[in-house]
Amino acid sequence: MADDTTEHVLYAERPEWSDVVPIPQYENIQPLAPIFYTPEYKDATDYFRGIVKTGEKSLRVLQLTETIIRLNPAHYSAWQYRYETLIVISAPLEPELVLTNALTKASPKTYQVWHHRQLLLTALRDPMPELAFNEEVLKADAKNYHTWSHRQWVLAHFDQAELWAGELPFVERLLNEDVRNNSAWHHRFFVSFENGSKGGTGEGADEAVRRELAFVKGKIALAPNNASAWNYLRGALNHTHLPYSTQAAFVELYVVDAVDADADRVLDLENPPPSQGAQLPCLAAIEFMADVHEARGKEGISEAVKLWRSLAHTHDTIRKRYWEFRIRDAVANTSVA
Amino acid sequence: MSDTLLTDLHVRYIQNLGKNKDDLTYHMTAHLRMNAVYWGLTALCIMKHKDALDAEETIEYVMSCWDDEAGAHESPLLPQPPSPAHKATTQLQEKGAFGAHPGHDAHILSTLSAIQVLATHEALSRMNVPRAVDFILGLQQPSGVFAGDAFGETDTRFIYCAVSALSLLSALDRLDRARTVSYLASCRNFDGGFGRVAGSESHAAQVWVCTAALAILDRLDVVDVPTLGWWLAERQLPSGGLNGRPEKLEDVCYSYWVLSSMAILNKLTWIDSSALTRFILSAQDPEGGGIADRPGDMVDVFHTVFGVAGLSLLGYPGLDDLDPVYCMPASLIERMGLKRSWKALPRREA
Repeated sequence: MADDTTEHVLYAERPEWSDVVPIPQYENIQPLAPIFYTPEYKDATDYFRGIVKTGEKSLRVLQLTETIIRLNPAHYSAWQYRYETLIVISAPLEPELVLTNALTKASPKTYQVWHHRQLLLTALRDPMPELAFNEEVLKADAKNYHTWSHRQWVLAHFDQAELWAGELPFVERLLNEDVRNNSAWHHRFFVSFENGSKGGTGEGADEAVRRELAFVKGKIALAPNNASAWNYLRGALNHTHLPYSTQAAFVELYVVDAVDADADRVLDLENPPPSQGAQLPCLAAIEFMADVHEARGKEGISEAVKLWRSLAHTHDTIRKRYWEFRIRDAVANTSVA
Repeated sequence: MSDTLLTDLHVRYIQNLGKNKDDLTYHMTAHLRMNAVYWGLTALCIMKHKDALDAEETIEYVMSCWDDEAGAHESPLLPQPPSPAHKATTQLQEKGAFGAHPGHDAHILSTLSAIQVLATHEALSRMNVPRAVDFILGLQQPSGVFAGDAFGETDTRFIYCAVSALSLLSALDRLDRARTVSYLASCRNFDGGFGRVAGSESHAAQVWVCTAALAILDRLDVVDVPTLGWWLAERQLPSGGLNGRPEKLEDVCYSYWVLSSMAILNKLTWIDSSALTRFILSAQDPEGGGIADRPGDMVDVFHTVFGVAGLSLLGYPGLDDLDPVYCMPASLIERMGLKRSWKALPRREA
């Protein structure tokens, strides 16, 4: 942002801009919402319209577009024109990326700033320290959708093993801060299962599945009431075509009403039990076990119905209609089977 | 706190948007102006006060945003060149489209909003349809995704804008459906949801644009209905409000994105309707009208339209039916022959 001690000089008052004819915004129709301009914004956009008209692409255009996007980061035409100018005048793009860092941190929810980064990185043909910068931006808002989406783009676009390799430790860092960060869980799935054969971990598919199942179950043990972790578990099982019943021994531990403090606990990495203080029963676990029973067909239906009823009437009453649907649906399917 | 919809206040709120020069939120929102016109008009239609804003004035404003030079020159910014099918061999196509505000560059977001406004006022004949169709088609990338404009940003929102706009302009047959559907399928995530681009996290707004686009293209077979239906039902929080992804805050706009997706999938009964209705009504401003993202926050026209849209889909008495695929009056979409299968809750008596 501009130094507080330097006052912004209107472009209309800058002698080096006297050759440009500013063009005011013409407004004769205002059915919904007029624009209330500050003098600085009006002045800058008037001059912007002036240079767009003449098609000027020069160093001073960079200065003008910077003024506009600092005042209004959503001004997509200014961003577009700025990028075109950078290319036309062969401006060095690394300094531009550094300049954009400040704008990104100031307006991380603006589509244009992230797209500008994407354009610069594409032209630079180099991932730069983008992932490190990305992690910095996430410190301010760990769930910013643009930031995560951009990260996925960097990984897929450059597709370098050393970039992928850092991602699982990165996701762990984020999940240690907040184990319920859905964006981090999604990213983990992207890295583990969706980057084709180019995963940076270098292990085989079976090893990856084993690792991921152990990981997610460990996190569920830590904090069972975490929709993201359960969605991840289901997604991993679906993706690798493993039946849900393979996890029944683990999930059963979470359907109980309380942790049995007296139980002799043998450490079982495959089936980590709920941590002390965990809120039980875990409704996602009840749902999971209902699915396991349903998959058994006729023999499992009454168990499944019992669990769904407990959700409808006690544990998840806001979704009562959904649980009642599951009961009707399962009963209907087994009668015709 | 109100337990009824303050219709007259909301109508006046929308009418006054054009007059409130002190409202600083409009200072920087020129890039949203065309969207705001569509949001305001649609809210009025749902509340059966379509005539609260002058139709001719609105149409003239929309037409003043026509960008005659849209797509007139090749852009170095589009990640891939436009596909050959949409490029004239020896000369550039004459394209045209709408910007967000007079003098603003054309964009697919504002183009859809403009088309929706004109369609709502049965004034599509006022625009140059063939040039707009060419502009839209020219934005499709080889992967099947659409860019928003010459800047090259891609997003499944832009796919929806293209599919909906082409459909409203009776030009859907010009679209490369296979490529479009294949890209949408690539955006389907492990949790059944859809993201901004292939690989992105599931987000309710992106779920709606993908589901609605697939509905228009008669390709809902791409959706994993049980998994997505459940993911959408899970958005409802104890407050009754809906969030956009797990562990985020509830927000009135998700009343639209989530609800309309569920209506399209015919799963709307899975939402606790009275709890959500109470939540939306509690986000109204009982003094100045308008609806906010959540109770106590400042209102805006975006949350106002999506709040009443959500209430309409929930069968709130006294409102007009809304088509959840197009987010436009249901009767209009039906008259245009564009209705797809969807199910809202029955309209309750007052």
